[in-house]
Amino acid sequence: MSWFQKKPAEPSVESPKAAPPERVTKGLKVASILTSDTILFPAAGQDKAAVLLALAAAVCEKAGISDWNSFLAKVQEREQGISTTLDTGLSLPHARMDGISNILAGMAILKKPISDPKQADLSIRVMFLFFSPNRQDAFPMHLQLLRGVSSLFQPPLIDQLTASSSPAAALELVKKLEA
Amino acid sequence: MKPEPRPGRRVTEVVVLTTAMLSFISFGRAAAIVLCDMASTAWYIGGIVETAIGPAAPWFILAVLLCAAPFLAMYVEGSAMFVRGGVYKVVRHAMGGTLAKVSVSALMFSYALTGSISAVSAGQYLAGLLNSALPRLHIHWTVAPHLFSVLFALAAVAYFWRQNVRGIEESSDEAVRIMSLVAVMAVVIFVWSAYTIHVRGFRWPTFAPTFTSESLGWFPPGWLGKLGVLVAFGHAFLGLSGLETLAQVYREMEAPKLKNLKRAATTIFLSALLLTGTISFLAVGLIPDDVRLSYANNLLSGLAMSMVGPHWALLILQTFVVLVGVLILCGAVNTSIMGSNGVLNRLSEDRILPEALRHLHPRYGTTHRMINLIAAMMALTIVLCRGDVYVLGEAYAFGIIWSFAFKAAAVLVLRFKDHSKREFKVSGNIAFWGREWPVGLATMFLLLLSVGFVNLLTKKIATVSGIAFTAVFFALFTISERLSRRAHAHDEHREKFNLRSADDLSIVREEIERSNRVLIAVRDPGNLYHLNKVLETHDSETTDMVVFTSRIRKGLGLVDETVSMDNDEEKLFTRVIEAAEKHGKTITPMLVVSNEPFYAITQAAQAVGASEVVFGVSAKLTTDAQLERLAMTWGSLQTDKKPVRFRILGPGVEHAVDL
Repeated sequence: MSWFQKKPAEPSVESPKAAPPERVTKGLKVASILTSDTILFPAAGQDKAAVLLALAAAVCEKAGISDWNSFLAKVQEREQGISTTLDTGLSLPHARMDGISNILAGMAILKKPISDPKQADLSIRVMFLFFSPNRQDAFPMHLQLLRGVSSLFQPPLIDQLTASSSPAAALELVKKLEA
Repeated sequence: MKPEPRPGRRVTEVVVLTTAMLSFISFGRAAAIVLCDMASTAWYIGGIVETAIGPAAPWFILAVLLCAAPFLAMYVEGSAMFVRGGVYKVVRHAMGGTLAKVSVSALMFSYALTGSISAVSAGQYLAGLLNSALPRLHIHWTVAPHLFSVLFALAAVAYFWRQNVRGIEESSDEAVRIMSLVAVMAVVIFVWSAYTIHVRGFRWPTFAPTFTSESLGWFPPGWLGKLGVLVAFGHAFLGLSGLETLAQVYREMEAPKLKNLKRAATTIFLSALLLTGTISFLAVGLIPDDVRLSYANNLLSGLAMSMVGPHWALLILQTFVVLVGVLILCGAVNTSIMGSNGVLNRLSEDRILPEALRHLHPRYGTTHRMINLIAAMMALTIVLCRGDVYVLGEAYAFGIIWSFAFKAAAVLVLRFKDHSKREFKVSGNIAFWGREWPVGLATMFLLLLSVGFVNLLTKKIATVSGIAFTAVFFALFTISERLSRRAHAHDEHREKFNLRSADDLSIVREEIERSNRVLIAVRDPGNLYHLNKVLETHDSETTDMVVFTSRIRKGLGLVDETVSMDNDEEKLFTRVIEAAEKHGKTITPMLVVSNEPFYAITQAAQAVGASEVVFGVSAKLTTDAQLERLAMTWGSLQTDKKPVRFRILGPGVEHAVDL
């Protein structure tokens, strides 16, 4: 079912019928795109840029991508645009990349919240970074993942994650909530 | 110390624009409002016209009523061009502000009189009924018809003044109820008349009008010849009162607007023709000549009492006719208040009248000061006429004929001046010499102009009082316009709104009732393509359309603000209201104060329970960035699994995503 349209021509007012989110996200669990290797507990005192750099490096390394700088540059470019930090304390940097066919993701859990440089009144407690394929047909999945991660990482989970002691324990918490 | 994040607390102030929650009326309701004025003439036109031109009156009343068809078509053409139309708007666009002010001054004269004549006539009918019924009840009192009708008319104006201050919904309900009763009465009268004709036969009225010196006025008798027809036609012209109200109610007419306008016009034409036309003939054909003049002020009472049947039955029929008459005539008072309020609103929007007159009633959201002014004008006219229906009737035609003449001229001029595609055109257009010539409109204009000039000579009262009133109003409008324009030199028209505020989005739930709900986010008054698309494709009978904008303030620690709209917001919602009126669709406009636009939209959509959220194409953000941010905020605030469709619409662009 085509549930996303992008048409340069005269718009059609007849849109395809909406499908419930469960069907659209079927098969895409946040826990399934994370591994213990891509869950970090950055040391206190690091700023957002440093955490982002470490996270991008870890995600690319796990995926066997050596040119992680281009990934970092792309996500930094996206960060210059509209904010990716939410009131819940979740920062959700993301970028659509050429040359990848799957979603690559990682998570940084910050025991001590850090400031968002673009929104000084917001604190970041968890940073979830992901890269998705830069294809038009993958954009719906990209948006669903943004919605799904934002929905999943609510303050109670974030509290539990920041209290967790290891990447495996953190991953287990995410799995448990998604089950 | 930084405040803790507070998900879902981004919106601190919610304002619902209650005045702008437009409710639209069906063509039937619109027709009922207009007919309350136009069909009410059936109760007095026969007496007035026969007093002026003799027993030939019904033929000329019929001729005038037949002319209602092209005149209604002219109003449809004008209204299709200007949703907030009417004489003033159309004349101003065609021929400039000065002539527009002259035409609207004449129109205000007719409105002041239509309410007054209807109310006084209702009083005359009631007085007549009381005077014939009281002796039979062994009560030997008589009421002085003129004094009684003045007192009754003042009470009727006071009642409908109050109703109009309370708003249109109540007013259109009254009109529908009144017209339903009139329909029942018409059936009873027609059936009873048919039986009477069967028993006694029917005398057709003569074609030849007979004039009195009073009905000729300054018109030289030597000129009568063929012009006599125009003189007689001019005396019957008050049969066309109320048409301007059609243009005024067009703004409130529901979608499909033009189709409904045409339906309303057809309903008005046929109903007025059937009721007023037939009753005029029946009155002359069935009421004996020797008693008819004694019923000049309450001709339908005379018709009821001239039927075949026992006396008690005729008395019941007279009572019924009088009571229905009182209701419809009072309905005409209502119509004239509504119509003149609409006209004054158009003048105010154009800064012809002081801004203070547009002040909205704090509770009902109506332009109460204008309504007060109109009611005061009617009350003054009623007192000045001292209960004489004929005097009012004679004066009345002046305003109607000249406002029609200006309107016809304006629609005609616009055919040459404005070549934009018309949704509707008065017929009688001849293609010749490579262009279209509006022969039908030109003929109509020439007819109106001729009757107007003839009436200037024949109707002394109308000419003197009409010119005086028009001159005074024209002077007032001109002075007021200068003062108002000086004070608001660069302002454009802004709608007036009543605001209802709360610190919680749940306030909006009180305004929505349909299961299908769409939230339309607006920001730029120049970028309402998406709103127009939604209005075009959604039915407000089945879908609540909430039009939303957010006022963005910095910082999470928002402080309470005084709820008032700034200039930009007023301009934005004025355009929104105009779009809704153009499509005839009901909307609920809403303004929220927030520190983040996407949170505000998301929270509003969730509070509304929207299944669809529609945006315009942003000048600052790419559509991908807009959708990404929406997906994030929607997810972070989503409390249920209800799917929502986000759509971004622009000229040649449509993005849709289901989240």
